[in-house]
Amino acid sequence: MITKPINLIIKKEIKIALREKLILAMGVIITLLLGVALYAGYISFKQQHNIIHETQAQKRQEWLNQGDKHPHIAAHYGTFVFKPKTVLSLFDFGLDAYTGTSVYLEAHYQHEFMFRPAQEHSSIIRFGELSSALVLQILVPLLIIFLAFASYTNERESGTLKLLLSQGISFQMLTWGKVLAFCMMLFAILLPYVIGLTILSGMQSQQGTTPHVMLRVLLIILFYGFYLFLFIAFSVWVSLRATNGRNALLTLITCWMFFTILLPKTVSNFSESLYTLPSMREFKAGIEDEKTNGTDGKTPRSVRVAKLKEEYLKKYNVDSVQQLPINFEGVSMQYGEEYANQIYDKHMQALRSIFHKQNQISSITSLLNPYIAVQHLSMALSGTDMYTFNHFEDKVESYRRELIRKMNNDMAENSVYGEFYGYKAGSDLWEEIDDFSYQTPTVDKILVSYPYEITSLILWTIIVIALLNFTNKKMKPLYG
Amino acid sequence: MDKSTKTLIHYEWKTFTRNKFQLLLLAITFVFALYAIYYGKSEINAQLDTIEAVKNLEEKEFAEYKASFQKELVTLEQEQTHDIASRPAYAWYRHGYHAILYPHALAPLAIGQRDLFRYYYRLTGMSLHYQLYENELANPVNLLAGNFDLSFVLIYLFPLLIITFCYGLFSSEKENGTLALLKIQVISIRKIMLIKLAFYLAIITGLALLVSLIGILSTANPIKSENLMASSLWLIGAIVYCVFWFAVMFVIISFRKSSSFNAITAAGCWLFFLIVIPGMLNVIVTVKYPVSSVTLAGLTRRTGLENEDDEKEAKEVITEFLHYKPELADSDSLIKNNLMPKAYAAFTSLKDIHNQEEVDYYNSQINKRNKWIANFYWLSPAVNMQEIFSQITETDLNTFLVFQDALVSFHRDISDFYFKRLFWDKPILLEDYSELPVFKMPKSDNRYLIVFTGLSKISLIALLAFIVGYIKINSISK
Repeated sequence: MITKPINLIIKKEIKIALREKLILAMGVIITLLLGVALYAGYISFKQQHNIIHETQAQKRQEWLNQGDKHPHIAAHYGTFVFKPKTVLSLFDFGLDAYTGTSVYLEAHYQHEFMFRPAQEHSSIIRFGELSSALVLQILVPLLIIFLAFASYTNERESGTLKLLLSQGISFQMLTWGKVLAFCMMLFAILLPYVIGLTILSGMQSQQGTTPHVMLRVLLIILFYGFYLFLFIAFSVWVSLRATNGRNALLTLITCWMFFTILLPKTVSNFSESLYTLPSMREFKAGIEDEKTNGTDGKTPRSVRVAKLKEEYLKKYNVDSVQQLPINFEGVSMQYGEEYANQIYDKHMQALRSIFHKQNQISSITSLLNPYIAVQHLSMALSGTDMYTFNHFEDKVESYRRELIRKMNNDMAENSVYGEFYGYKAGSDLWEEIDDFSYQTPTVDKILVSYPYEITSLILWTIIVIALLNFTNKKMKPLYG
Repeated sequence: MDKSTKTLIHYEWKTFTRNKFQLLLLAITFVFALYAIYYGKSEINAQLDTIEAVKNLEEKEFAEYKASFQKELVTLEQEQTHDIASRPAYAWYRHGYHAILYPHALAPLAIGQRDLFRYYYRLTGMSLHYQLYENELANPVNLLAGNFDLSFVLIYLFPLLIITFCYGLFSSEKENGTLALLKIQVISIRKIMLIKLAFYLAIITGLALLVSLIGILSTANPIKSENLMASSLWLIGAIVYCVFWFAVMFVIISFRKSSSFNAITAAGCWLFFLIVIPGMLNVIVTVKYPVSSVTLAGLTRRTGLENEDDEKEAKEVITEFLHYKPELADSDSLIKNNLMPKAYAAFTSLKDIHNQEEVDYYNSQINKRNKWIANFYWLSPAVNMQEIFSQITETDLNTFLVFQDALVSFHRDISDFYFKRLFWDKPILLEDYSELPVFKMPKSDNRYLIVFTGLSKISLIALLAFIVGYIKINSISK
């Protein structure tokens, strides 16, 4: 049986890599780190998931068993919502340490999410947490660089390149043989991890917050596949072009450093300087001001309520609010609520648009930097990104509005004007409010929000393949 | 300095000035450092603006109260203002005091946790826990990315600079064929390497000191007594950290392996110290000491008396509260006047008292975490250095924990000020405004101790590395 030359090339590359103790050690270390990251991610997910689950159930009981009271007092008593852990947060912690985890829902006020888990750590947290995503995004590329930087320069320095070429092997075949060999080695290193990830997330997929867990895992594997392939192909290309191994290594490490450490930080800091955020105090003051003086700045609450009163008297054709068939206090309460919601939405939208503009800069930069692309896509699929968090915030806010609306309507229908303590609602009303449950956006919805990132990965893959092919053809055997 | 040393330095200088790539790297690092200083300053200036704004608001608020004593009250609004100014039943929950954690003069150089924690609070006599847990607005994506400040440049980028300058010091002589020439000199390889390392140490540490000085001079007056210590410690820190990395490079070089081996090993060390070790410590501490804020969330619930018409309930609450504050009891008019405001004040204070245990538990968990993790700082001089820099600039976690503790006593002062008048039915007089509670941030005394221990740990590791390198580099040639 004749062995194809490409198979020989692959075999030879793998043999050489296995001889290098340093590479072998790094492979073992990466496997270990991935194992630790996966295990710790899983434990931390379980811990957080359980405590959130328990506390949420406890708050639900508190709500249901709050006893008989006036609906408006119940609306102030309110309830709490906790940000559920998504299954794949065990893979990529994403923004979880920096987005708030719990929010208090009550009448009149939109509270912001409290408690960022990073606040429970010392400054060491800013170095990042070891997640599988971190290992795959930063550490594995470095391993690839170490594996591949000398792939051509060694052949050149030891003179084997000329031997190979004189045997009729083309650059094309040699290059792709090397790329394939590295892909296979990496696949072998990562396979146990991928199996582990699939099993662990498969076990938790019944948890319900994240739909299509398996599809997400598949896409994560696909995107990281693209990303790591980029590094392999690029490293081989640099080695092909470099005059010696030292230069190839220096170039590759500089690129790695620039793309994974420097650029992401610089871009996000730059976006922060470009679009500045208001302080919480300014933000709240803006909302309060409009609530007090009206959206036009000259219609205070008393005027607004008087107008509403007039409308209602006219509508029901009566002379005083006491004659209305419903309690006007409930009506005006709900009116105030909706008015305040409008104001809040406006301000929140303005705030979100600043966040969006800031984040958009790094999304656009992802076209230049596949690291940012894979980072964003990984968080998105894990449900730990900004888009999912905003989606969650919106769901929580609509739940709050529904809760308050039901309380106000009940008050309007059942209580009597001016007798605040005369009316008490009971558990029947509390049970009308469904328990809060949350599902992250589906895969297609979330991916649509990351067009730059997807384009980046595809574009870079095409560029790198084209680059390799172009250089392969251009290389002259004589000078090889 | 003997002649051969001079010659060596002379030639190293020539090699250095000819290498355009290295010069470019130095220039780029310098520019990045300048940007980092600018960025740090803009962040802290934004915070200072916010502080200025909230202080103005507070001054305006209290100026209105004071003015209401002297003005003739004509409109309804003026009367309302005067009520809030003079009647404790309104004042205790309306008068807002700002507790502000001012940034240290050097804070722009190491922002630390200042973007993550709140640095100002507006407190009234209402339940403290209700007022504590709101966050400052921030983009989580940028919080995750972290700050590009000078401490980042020194801790992350300078080691890379050192690596690129030094990884080939020995191996390139070998690879270029000049090693044999060096070996026949009277001067030992060890000495040659040490001189070369010292040469680059001088250049890179010089750059680190230069950018640090630019940073210090542009943010603070270092001669001022309160900045002198911090500034000098910063400079010492920068030197110690650079020396540490040179020592690491010395060990790597001493194995006399190829350039590629050196580069890989050095990059591996960098990765371990800056990413792997801190990343591991963070996940381990998260799993080992699970802290969950969810239990605290409930404290922020706005609750009141079940029925504000129910006098019996009000009396019960007041009696329970007076058990903790006996000095407020014994007024004849205790139950007669302002019953509901008193009951509400008692209610919210009781809530704090009852919940304190839970808050203490949460804080103790965080403390445990930090104690545990601090035991392992020596594993990574980079982590250690970050902690040292943020200690120097007072942007470390501990500063914020102390700040939060100080809030508790400040809140007590505020409540005492109003409750004394509320429960004894005394009005607030104009002269009382000269003795309003003032926020005081306690000075942490062991700050410099932590810095010194940290610096000695890094120095010790550097020394050990140096000794290993010193022995190793000669052992091979024999």
